Amino acid sequence: MTCDEFEAIGLDAERDASLTETQRAEAAAHVASCTRCSALRVSWEAARIELRSLAVATAGMNAPARVEMRLRQQFGTQYNTPRVRRTAVVAAWALAAAAVVVGAVSWVNWRNSQRANLTDKSNTPVANPGTAEQNAAPDSPTLMADNELSDFTFLPGVLPTDTDDATILEVRIQRGALGALGLPVNEDRAAEWIQVDLLVGNDGLPQAVRLPNEMRE
Amino acid sequence: MSIADQERDDVLLRRAGKGDEDAFALLYRRHQGALYRFALRMSGNAWAAEEIVQDVFMTLMRDPKKYDAARGTLGGFLYGVTRNRVLKHLERLPREVSLEEKTENGAAAGIVLQDASTPAVQAEKRERVELVWAAVLDLPAEFREAVVLCELEERSYEEAAQMIGCPIGTIRSRLHRGRALLMARLEMLRDAPRRAGLTRKAGAAK
Repeated sequence: MTCDEFEAIGLDAERDASLTETQRAEAAAHVASCTRCSALRVSWEAARIELRSLAVATAGMNAPARVEMRLRQQFGTQYNTPRVRRTAVVAAWALAAAAVVVGAVSWVNWRNSQRANLTDKSNTPVANPGTAEQNAAPDSPTLMADNELSDFTFLPGVLPTDTDDATILEVRIQRGALGALGLPVNEDRAAEWIQVDLLVGNDGLPQAVRLPNEMRE
Repeated sequence: MSIADQERDDVLLRRAGKGDEDAFALLYRRHQGALYRFALRMSGNAWAAEEIVQDVFMTLMRDPKKYDAARGTLGGFLYGVTRNRVLKHLERLPREVSLEEKTENGAAAGIVLQDASTPAVQAEKRERVELVWAAVLDLPAEFREAVVLCELEERSYEEAAQMIGCPIGTIRSRLHRGRALLMARLEMLRDAPRRAGLTRKAGAAK
């Protein structure tokens, strides 16, 4: 083995597993006979001891704890933020759906109550106006219904008790048509159109009529 | 050792990929030390090593599928990413020895000498270690890498060749040239205080 070969492969012959036993033996023989390579080896061993001291001095070093903290923070941002966002979107949709349902239910209730009111109005029996006024509170709906009914003129042959299930209809008729209901008509104004309220019974026949104010007066 | 500690890296990585923070933390703790020491020994800069390690794990966190278990161990993969980051960092830096972080007593940050010798002896040893580290950092990156892996981390030539991704012959050659440069540098550093002492004595004699 030459000095150059020893420098290239013989200096660390013990550690280099790719060398053969023969090469190792040649390296050992060379260093035993060559003072230059022997000195080189001593110098390298000294350098290696110093490298070992550096390795030992830095062996226990780890990344500071703040690195793990930052990574955990980033991990949380990366994996939890989309989850939170998804939850928020789902929650928003759920709230919107709940609001729609509540609105729909409220509307249906309101509609039902409106219908019930109308039915109550129409179903209110035509009572004795005087009695109604005495029994009901001044601002009660029953009184209002009674007041309305009190303006009606019952057609000939109809009793107030027959109007229990009657319905009020607003109709536009010629004044002359009132004659057909048994009411007196001014012949001069018979062709005039007027709006009257008819109280129509369950049988569909008019039972009472409410005339416009000016006609009553 | 807990059951979690025995869990394979690829299993932990799969769990981490599904949002398991503890699995990710376990992976980090398993590999950070070796990666940090490699980055620190190569760069000589604790801040840079910290940034590099953080960057490596960020990469793993963002895209865990980059690691292919069929191509090697996770440790090898992480080492490869760290190595690329370190080399990029060294390319960006001007050629200088960067043991710039000194503590109040002048010691390089992180160097811990655990022995029972006197403070004076400890200071002398620390100074010596710093000189050796400065000499290592003065080597060109490819030689430095071979020296760090084979001499400081005591990896075999085969392991080093596998990690760097080159033939064993290349490792041997780099080590040979790295050693030559290192020994020359260490000789110079050993002689510098001696020369300084001689100059001082000569100045005093005049």
